[in-house]
Amino acid sequence: MKALSAINSSNPCLSKTHFLKVPIFHPFFRFKPFSHSYSIHVRGAKTALTPSFTINCKLKTSHDIKSKEKSVSQKIVLSEGSPPPLTEDGDTNGENVPESSQKKESPFGVVRMLRRKTLQILSNLPLAIGEMFAVASLMALGTFIDQGEAPDFYFQKYPEDHPVFGFFTWRWVLALGFDHMFSSPIFLGVLALLGASLMACTYTTQLPLIKVSRRWLFLHSAEAIRKQEFSESLPRASIQDVGTILMGAGYEVFLKGPSLYAFKGLAGRLAPVGVHIAMILIMAGGTLSATGSFRGSVTVPQGLNFVVGDVLAPSGFLSSPTEAFNTEIHVNRFYMDYYESGEVSQFHTDLSLLNMDGKEVMRKTISVNDPLRYGGITIYQTDWSISALQILKDNEGPYNLAMAPLQINGDKKLFGTFLPVGDINSPDVKGISMLARDLQSIVLYDKEGKFAGVRRPNSKLPINIDGSEIVIVDAIGSSGLDLKTDPGVPLVYAGFGALMITTCISYLSHSQIWALQDGTTIIVGGKSNRGKMEFPEEMNLLLDKVPEIVESTLGG
Amino acid sequence: MVFLTLEHILTHISFSVVSILISIHLITLLLFNEIIGLSDSSKKGMIITFFCITGLLFTRWFFSSHLPFSDLYESLIFLSWTFSILYIVPYFKKHKNYYLNTIITPSVIFTQGFATSGLLNEMHESLILVPALQSHWLMMHVSMMILGYATLLCGSLLSVAILVILFQELIQIIGKSKNFYFLNESFSFAVINYINISEKKNVFKKTFFSSYRNYFRSQFIQQLDHWGYRTISLGFIFLTIGIISGAVWANEAWGSYWNWDPKETWAFITWTIFAIYLHTRKNKKFEDINSSIVASMGFLIIWVCYLGINLLGIGLHSYGSFTPN
Repeated sequence: MKALSAINSSNPCLSKTHFLKVPIFHPFFRFKPFSHSYSIHVRGAKTALTPSFTINCKLKTSHDIKSKEKSVSQKIVLSEGSPPPLTEDGDTNGENVPESSQKKESPFGVVRMLRRKTLQILSNLPLAIGEMFAVASLMALGTFIDQGEAPDFYFQKYPEDHPVFGFFTWRWVLALGFDHMFSSPIFLGVLALLGASLMACTYTTQLPLIKVSRRWLFLHSAEAIRKQEFSESLPRASIQDVGTILMGAGYEVFLKGPSLYAFKGLAGRLAPVGVHIAMILIMAGGTLSATGSFRGSVTVPQGLNFVVGDVLAPSGFLSSPTEAFNTEIHVNRFYMDYYESGEVSQFHTDLSLLNMDGKEVMRKTISVNDPLRYGGITIYQTDWSISALQILKDNEGPYNLAMAPLQINGDKKLFGTFLPVGDINSPDVKGISMLARDLQSIVLYDKEGKFAGVRRPNSKLPINIDGSEIVIVDAIGSSGLDLKTDPGVPLVYAGFGALMITTCISYLSHSQIWALQDGTTIIVGGKSNRGKMEFPEEMNLLLDKVPEIVESTLGG
Repeated sequence: MVFLTLEHILTHISFSVVSILISIHLITLLLFNEIIGLSDSSKKGMIITFFCITGLLFTRWFFSSHLPFSDLYESLIFLSWTFSILYIVPYFKKHKNYYLNTIITPSVIFTQGFATSGLLNEMHESLILVPALQSHWLMMHVSMMILGYATLLCGSLLSVAILVILFQELIQIIGKSKNFYFLNESFSFAVINYINISEKKNVFKKTFFSSYRNYFRSQFIQQLDHWGYRTISLGFIFLTIGIISGAVWANEAWGSYWNWDPKETWAFITWTIFAIYLHTRKNKKFEDINSSIVASMGFLIIWVCYLGINLLGIGLHSYGSFTPN
């Protein structure tokens, strides 16, 4: 940089070439003279050099604080250093900034340069696109490779003697962590990189966009206006009429002398910033959830209880238990609802929560899709099973026979129990089998395995099998509960809400219109960032409404 | 019993109307005719189809007392309904949009036909809802997802059309055979048709192609590109809302908002691909071709996400698999 300043001392031509080589940030690569105090001062100088210098001033004022653009502004200020008038008032501000940074000690300068370079690399758009592709393909791979199986499974499925696609063996799967893809280092690393890119891009590209789009940029030359995507010239009209018509169409209009600037739908330009910030919120919330939550599940037979803290297990290094973990939960009653066809329609559990002193603090009946929340802990009803059958045998009892699951297929389950008859200790003991699909009815089979009958638990009707009289008193179900605490949920929900809203808003298109009164002709130009097809139609309709002035002088 | 017969009648009416419509469109495309009456009748036909499918859905709703979202057959019917919605809405807003029509009508017929065909005979009866599906979130999540899929499918089909037009010239150079001459003629007919119908808009002044056909082809491509962009942006919004409502529902029902379930993962992959599409359009150099390629990939991925996962029948979303549980 220092060498450049020496060469560049008083050569205006060189300044121009330097300007052209500078990788100027895209939105500013437009020749829009900016009516600011700097440029007015500069216009007093050589008019041939005016265009380049006004742009330089504009870049400076918006970017002299941004660290990323320091390299850009440094180059430009050096090129401005050549003509003498610019070293006076306004521009000393700009010159001081790069000089002061050059005067700082070198380690600090190195850190700053590293930070700048990292930000530049991270906020590169093709890199972000590549990262998104990588995430997508890793996720797809994660769905094709079965997750969470024992290593033996992978030995058999991806054997070394005939590898899939010619090279993919179990070594690849286990070494790269593809068997637990969604928590493997590769996947998390790519996600972290994507998060870093997201943050860098928001900081360097999106936030300046907010500052830029709020400025009112007037165009002062007809040439600039004609270069817009849509431009027209109206031969005999007054710019006030154009302004009024635009205001009627919902634009915000700014008139300054002969020139006009109007825009509509600014939210459509700013909403993508909101989208990126919402994504960052979601990723932060997700990270907090992954590292700071407690989870646990338990199957509790009706009538028993458990302590919350015994059931929950931490999931990451930030998890810390709360006072509510001492609560004891009683399962008062578990019952199910059925459709007419006999299928299970819903299952409910009546819970009461007791605190350490034994006082009941909460009582609620939960069901699927209707959880219980207390003190940061949420209890979900997720599953059910049958724990025991209470029977009377020959009017003795009641005996509790534990039911074991025989077959579980989603919501269709089969439980069974066995009541031995005769000599219990003989090796070939026979007995009465009882099977149940749900708590409604029990099917009984005698000791030969023949079907004996069906009984409903609450009917109290006896059944006579092999000489014994059995009365089914009750079928005791047990409730499958999932408990969870998750500190990241508020963040994630906030991110979700913001994402939905900002995505909807970013569908709007941001239209900008410039106009210049040139004698009696008005030159109008405009552009729109999303509605490229509808915009010219709309403009034509609006401009058709502008009244034509038939006198030779403008009435004013 | 009344409802069943009503359902059958409505299904068959909509199927036959849509098949008539597709034949009308094919005839218009192939035979270069100027019979305006046919295009009017195609509009009326689409409206009839829309009402038929709406009636079908409402009948199922009343008959089974739950919203018709519970299995694959019903969601396919809903998909064809959303396609017809996508046709009706611009029609009522008086946007002259000819490209979307040619894409929507075949889509409706194919989904409707697939759903009513013999492949899914055993799934025509409406099933009861398992406890996990009995929630208000069902309505919002499933409807938004399917609306999103339909819109994204239309948008990505428009991008596929761009790619086909861009490369059919390449194919002609490579192929140099009489077969491709036919394709060329049909595409140039489509282009000329567009010119005749629409007013001349001097929107795109940057073109400086020498040949007449090239100029209008580039205009045509830009129109397709723009409509594809708008449609995919809209579909992206629906997909975002659908995925988020699914995550919130999962959190309310089972306690975690993301389980890396195959269907969830593929929905997220679809979302990522279309986010890549929206980002590739930022870079002016890559705008046309790359974004169309990405959107075409998105087309395939939507089908994998919607049908492919159900075919495998694994995970939490196994309600819609072909093998009855």
